[in-house]
Amino acid sequence: MNSMKFGLVLMCALSANAYGQGAEIQGGMGAAANEVPKTIAVTQTQLSAAARDAQNWLHTNGSYDQTRYFPGAQINAQNVAGLKAVFAFQTEVMESMETAPIVVDGVMYLTTSYNHVYAVDAVTGKQFWHYKHKMGPVTTFCCGPNNRGVAISGGKLFMGTLDAKLVALDARTGKLLWETEIADPEKGYSETMAPTVIENKVLIGTNGGEYGICGFVKAFDTDSGKLLWTFNTIPEKGNEGVWAVNDATGRNLHRDIAAEKAALEKDSSFYQTLGGGVWMNPAIDARTRTVFFVVGNPSPDLYGAERPGDNLYTDSMVAVDLDSGAYKWHFQYIAHDVWDLDAVSPPILLDVKDKSGRMVPAVMHGGKTGHIYVHRRDNGELIRFSEAMIPQENMWVLPTPDGARMLPGANGGVEWSPMAFNPNTRLAYALNLHQPMTYHVEAATYPGGKLWLGGAFKTIPSEKQWGRVAAVNVDTGKVAWKYDTEQPLIGGALTTAGNLVFFGEGNGLFKALDARNGKLLWHFQCGAGANAMPVSYSVRGKQYVAMGCGGNTQLDFKRGNSLFVFAL
Amino acid sequence: MMGVLALVLAARVQAQDVEAGGKKAEVCAACHGANGNSQTPTFPVLAGQTARYLSLQLRDFKEGRRKDPNMDPIVANLSRQDIYDLAAFFAAQKPIPTAFKQDDSKAAAGKAKADETLCTMCHLGGFAGQNEIPRVAGQHYEYIVKQLNDFKAKRRTNDAGNMTSVARTLSEQDIENLAQYIAGLQ
Repeated sequence: MNSMKFGLVLMCALSANAYGQGAEIQGGMGAAANEVPKTIAVTQTQLSAAARDAQNWLHTNGSYDQTRYFPGAQINAQNVAGLKAVFAFQTEVMESMETAPIVVDGVMYLTTSYNHVYAVDAVTGKQFWHYKHKMGPVTTFCCGPNNRGVAISGGKLFMGTLDAKLVALDARTGKLLWETEIADPEKGYSETMAPTVIENKVLIGTNGGEYGICGFVKAFDTDSGKLLWTFNTIPEKGNEGVWAVNDATGRNLHRDIAAEKAALEKDSSFYQTLGGGVWMNPAIDARTRTVFFVVGNPSPDLYGAERPGDNLYTDSMVAVDLDSGAYKWHFQYIAHDVWDLDAVSPPILLDVKDKSGRMVPAVMHGGKTGHIYVHRRDNGELIRFSEAMIPQENMWVLPTPDGARMLPGANGGVEWSPMAFNPNTRLAYALNLHQPMTYHVEAATYPGGKLWLGGAFKTIPSEKQWGRVAAVNVDTGKVAWKYDTEQPLIGGALTTAGNLVFFGEGNGLFKALDARNGKLLWHFQCGAGANAMPVSYSVRGKQYVAMGCGGNTQLDFKRGNSLFVFAL
Repeated sequence: MMGVLALVLAARVQAQDVEAGGKKAEVCAACHGANGNSQTPTFPVLAGQTARYLSLQLRDFKEGRRKDPNMDPIVANLSRQDIYDLAAFFAAQKPIPTAFKQDDSKAAAGKAKADETLCTMCHLGGFAGQNEIPRVAGQHYEYIVKQLNDFKAKRRTNDAGNMTSVARTLSEQDIENLAQYIAGLQ
């Protein structure tokens, strides 16, 4: 609540950066050599048609539908065994890597922890330029200094920063074009997600559900950085919802609703610190002008007594109007969450069979609960939820001071890891964790910008942890096949027209499975955790696959600094 | 023009932070050592600590959320600018390894406990610290033990429930092992 603290410093830093003085650009042999040697101009037509584009990778998750399905089939189930590394690009940042590179016309843009951006030749690995964001004096963020990538439109790149700013860069030179503050980092706002761009709008959410923020999705103007609209993920009125007794799958949440109602009578001001971060890109249906995103956990994570009610729109999927940010619908998975089993993995637009067998437009989300939830796209109604992809036990036992065991653990299920959907197999591919934990609660009032969990979660040393790629039939909710891994999985999945699924593991193995049956077809040891988001693209008729391998803070997988590119 | 002027101003404000902090920190050296490299195991090493953690702790001491008989009188008259300057100064100092001699088997047990407790999810890999989450790597053994015991007994409660919850289920042996491991991360 104390935004004046760094007022002077921030003001100075902002006005300086507006003139491009505050950031560093580095390269090889003088200014001219650092430029991308071609004009970069991505049109809205290209961005809208990205799902059918077998040349470029223009969105974090491939397209506005976010299927992470690449339509190229040069690399396929028959020949993937011959896939070889073409180059490794080394960044100067040895820390958690979660980026999804953007590739346009043979030029790759990748990011690292602490908001570095590199422009690289996507065929040779030659570096064009390197931008380092000049970080403000205050940063506050959970789960590592990550960044998940840039968005591109026209000749501009857009990136959110750990100090809660949005920057626009010249894609050709890496020069800063404008910078705007999204929110106050002193209060726990920060950015690790890649923005999504459509028409004149840059859409971005915020981290901070572990710090008592008041969450949002905002739209900024691509040319000026001016704020166009804000959707608050925590409504001031009505956040108590319907006093839901059960979760989305019908299991009792063990709430003391009478006590919650009494607490709400006394004080309803907690909405200002109720959390509700948005960690991953929204999906966009341009035909109906609708934006779909999922909202994260309430603050504090584990202690619910001081935030009575359903805590809308935390742990929910939300649909808003693209042009105004106005509310359309929401669907809450867990009301009054005290386990941090929130909604993080980005929504995917697809058509599915409804209960009567008719194909209808849908939107789905892979939950930390271990279920995939499939909704009607027009009103959010739940068509089905998948069978549990990982073990569930003792749901929903309430956290205690000494710890209560429940599965899944607080990292999921499916964490921020984007799923992939292959229209040929009708399967969604979800990267799951199995990390048994005890949930501990501790009363704690709002600490003013410090980490605010209201307890802790701890792993159980006697219980083995592992990961699982689950392939789920979207029309039935049944698990078609599963592929288990020795460590919990975090990172993105990619599927291709070549009947492949690519994903990485914390032990450094980057793998390709047969999309139809989960058979392991190829693997490569990257030497550090393969926990970023794989992408595919083609240049001059040759298909490539790229994967960042810098490890992961959240699961403490071995750190590295490299991105690997593969081809036949 | 405004941009250039503002840049100069910003640079000056930042430079003054560390320099001004250095002067203000002279009084700290009696306990915390030269440049925050404490030689006394009961007083924490401040060199290389994150600026955000230091400023929040000084604020908490000043406003009574954290209590210590030595620190309370020291912070009473610190202004907000003093706090920022001091934090910037100590954050900019290089930590010198302490004389701590690790017990390898206890440290190994401590590492296993740290993994189980997910310490590095907040404290970052190698306990290097980030933002308001302190660097604990290479901190004095005695100081780490005292803090964990204080959290466990709720003598220290300015942690928003995170560390008190973590420490609640730690045994005396766990605390000893964790401190052996972390103090040895020089």
